[in-house]
Amino acid sequence: MVGRLAWLKTRLLWNGLRSDLQRRIGFPVAIVALGAGAWYLAGRYTEIMETLSPPAARQFALWGAVALFAVWVTLPVVIFPLDENLDPARFALAPVSRWRLATGLGVSALIAPSVVVPAILLGTNVAVLAPTTTLPAAVAASLLLGVQMVVVGQLFSTAVSAVLRSRRGRDLAVFLIMGIGLAGFAAQATVARVVGRVGLEQAALSHPIRGWMTLLPPAAAQNVAVATGWVGSLGSAIVAVTWIFGMGWMWIRLLDWMLTTPGQSPRPNRAARRNGMAGWGWGIRRVLARKELRFYLRDPRQRLVWTGAVIFVGLAAASILVGTGELAAFRRQDWLPLAAPGLVLFVGLPIALNQFGWERNAASYLFVLPIRPRSMLMGKNLATFGALMVETAVLAVALAALSGGWANLWLVAPLAICSAALQLAVGNLVSVLTPLRLPREGTDVFAQATEQGCLAIASQIASFFAIGMLLVPPASVTVLTVAFGRVVSPWVASGFAVAWGAAFYLVSIWLSGILLRRRLPEVVQWVQVS
Amino acid sequence: MVQFQPDAADETSVHLATSRGLDAEPETATPPAVWTKGLTRRFGKSVAVDGLDLTIAPGEFYGLLGQNGAGKTTTIKMIVGLLRPTAGTAGIGPFDTWEQPLEVKRRIGVLPEEFNLYERLTGAELLDFTAAMHGLPQREATERRDELLALLDLEGDAAKLVADYSRGMRKKVALAAAIIHRPSVLFLDEPFEGVDAVSARLIRRLLRRYTEQGATIVFSSHEMHLVERLCTRIGIMEHGRLTMEDTPEGLCRRMGVETVEDAFIAAVAGSDDKDGPTWLGASPG
Repeated sequence: MVGRLAWLKTRLLWNGLRSDLQRRIGFPVAIVALGAGAWYLAGRYTEIMETLSPPAARQFALWGAVALFAVWVTLPVVIFPLDENLDPARFALAPVSRWRLATGLGVSALIAPSVVVPAILLGTNVAVLAPTTTLPAAVAASLLLGVQMVVVGQLFSTAVSAVLRSRRGRDLAVFLIMGIGLAGFAAQATVARVVGRVGLEQAALSHPIRGWMTLLPPAAAQNVAVATGWVGSLGSAIVAVTWIFGMGWMWIRLLDWMLTTPGQSPRPNRAARRNGMAGWGWGIRRVLARKELRFYLRDPRQRLVWTGAVIFVGLAAASILVGTGELAAFRRQDWLPLAAPGLVLFVGLPIALNQFGWERNAASYLFVLPIRPRSMLMGKNLATFGALMVETAVLAVALAALSGGWANLWLVAPLAICSAALQLAVGNLVSVLTPLRLPREGTDVFAQATEQGCLAIASQIASFFAIGMLLVPPASVTVLTVAFGRVVSPWVASGFAVAWGAAFYLVSIWLSGILLRRRLPEVVQWVQVS
Repeated sequence: MVQFQPDAADETSVHLATSRGLDAEPETATPPAVWTKGLTRRFGKSVAVDGLDLTIAPGEFYGLLGQNGAGKTTTIKMIVGLLRPTAGTAGIGPFDTWEQPLEVKRRIGVLPEEFNLYERLTGAELLDFTAAMHGLPQREATERRDELLALLDLEGDAAKLVADYSRGMRKKVALAAAIIHRPSVLFLDEPFEGVDAVSARLIRRLLRRYTEQGATIVFSSHEMHLVERLCTRIGIMEHGRLTMEDTPEGLCRRMGVETVEDAFIAAVAGSDDKDGPTWLGASPG
């Protein structure tokens, strides 16, 4: 079974490469990019290790193992995974034991470009840390650490998927993910502060983390092997193996529960249950916008996108409160609320840049309805605009409270309108030209669709920069109303920002409408999941 | 009560322009409800629909039959504007799907084979949404919605998400959404699959009445007894071509058989005497 699942993953990967030009380009690019990143980190790690004394180097290696482990396990949950995972539900009826299924899924998870990163880093660690006499023990411990990373990574993402299956869980998941983000930031800030104060050597020696190593026994085994020889590391190795089996057992139990328990659908609110779409205005654009708003709440993925704002609020607040240097200086700036539209820009992008991808197969339902393409886009834009405004308002008020910049709060409104209009202007064009195919509704929230091409992802990245560039003139003019001698009247800046955003939006909606009318069948084909 | 009568505007006689690829007709001729002209769709080297010429008159209950992969769904997708033809064109009444898509979409209702519905809307919301997109006034939309939900026995489930509906319930709500705006042409792909016997009878009666009022139904199904009972004309597709077209009785007569099912099998398979692999005859392990 292990071999067959590994073969299946390899075959899917290979077939994807063969059938899709974007993948043929994107796959080597992803491997080279990840490899280059890992190589850089490995180089920095080697440089640092050479400057440290042996006891400090061993401590630093443990810290490094903890960081690698934490990032590997949590990153697919905080940001959507780059790899296409095998969906365990597909094997629910296969006549195979859960242990073999889990082992197969674990091994197949290693057939992905992202494996380049731990492979390079763990290899570098062995090369840097281990003298020849303990090399086999160090290699074995690194392999154990790799296995533990895979098993705990799978357990963690399965656990979060399980949490997301219930209505309450979906609400809690936002805080869970926010917690991971905040914890990561706080840890980074704390480490940076301590290292900045006493230096890396002292920081490593004065903050031993052997106590934590019960959570990461393979790293401890390697450390002990390096310090005292391979015999001494046997105890930690046995603990590591037991640990991995324990985590594996928990993963299998959870997997079993997931395969036999249906997820809970969201429950519409009372007004929606009673009135359907009646109320709050009628007409194509308004009803379409309300349909979108309902999906923002009811589709777990879209909900995660929008609640990303909570994470940004948290991170922005954390940056200012616990940050060092320039970040802390922001706390005293009365123009701080004006940063809100820029931060919210990140939040709406996955929706604004892929308005038809989120329709998935229902695009064919939408596209046989007699709606003018421009009205279709405007209805969708209305919903996104509304959500962006609400999120900007919440963030701006929070930042005003933090900085005392209440006097500049009103200036957020024109800047937010401009920012959202530019985002939608670029988003409409990108949505029509390169829609991104998303996984079918109801699939694991962390699964990726097959055939997601790098062209769509590249165009999304490029459009983010385009939005940023377009935002420079109105943002600069607005800054001149609160800083640099306040040479521009706030009213002029507000008018300019709104006019600038509106002008780009109008041109874009006109052009996107024409393009959508011409490309409607192609958009349907592109976003449909087989 | 819902009046299952197609919009009067679609029944007027309209001049057909020869520039749209149709044969010239007299000024007062009633255009076909559905037509295709040399409709072709290729996927790479394979030809899914091969130069299809199809004409369906207003008020017909037209059965489009064929084996899996014969090109039925591809044809319907091209007629309604979801798939671009490689060559040829198609339309509804006087309107060309690829030149006047909005006019075509205003006049059609589609019950697709796959349930590509908005699963995260409630049944009532889905009907409201569809009605609003067709430009129905709110009060009329609400009235029609409530009557359709009651008629199809979905009243008690109107507040549930479509995702929580059974297969049969999804078919019924999709049918309600397809007819809420009283289209003049209705495309139905396997409308009875998964629907219980009581609802199926109700739907049959509803559809028959609908065609009696002048609407056209294009019906694709593998349930031959239903095709035989409902359709006024049948077209059989094979390898993307229309190989036979007649009334159910005419089809049986031509093939020298009793039922449409036998006629269909004789037409597309030649014989049905395959017994399957011998190992399946052995007792299961």
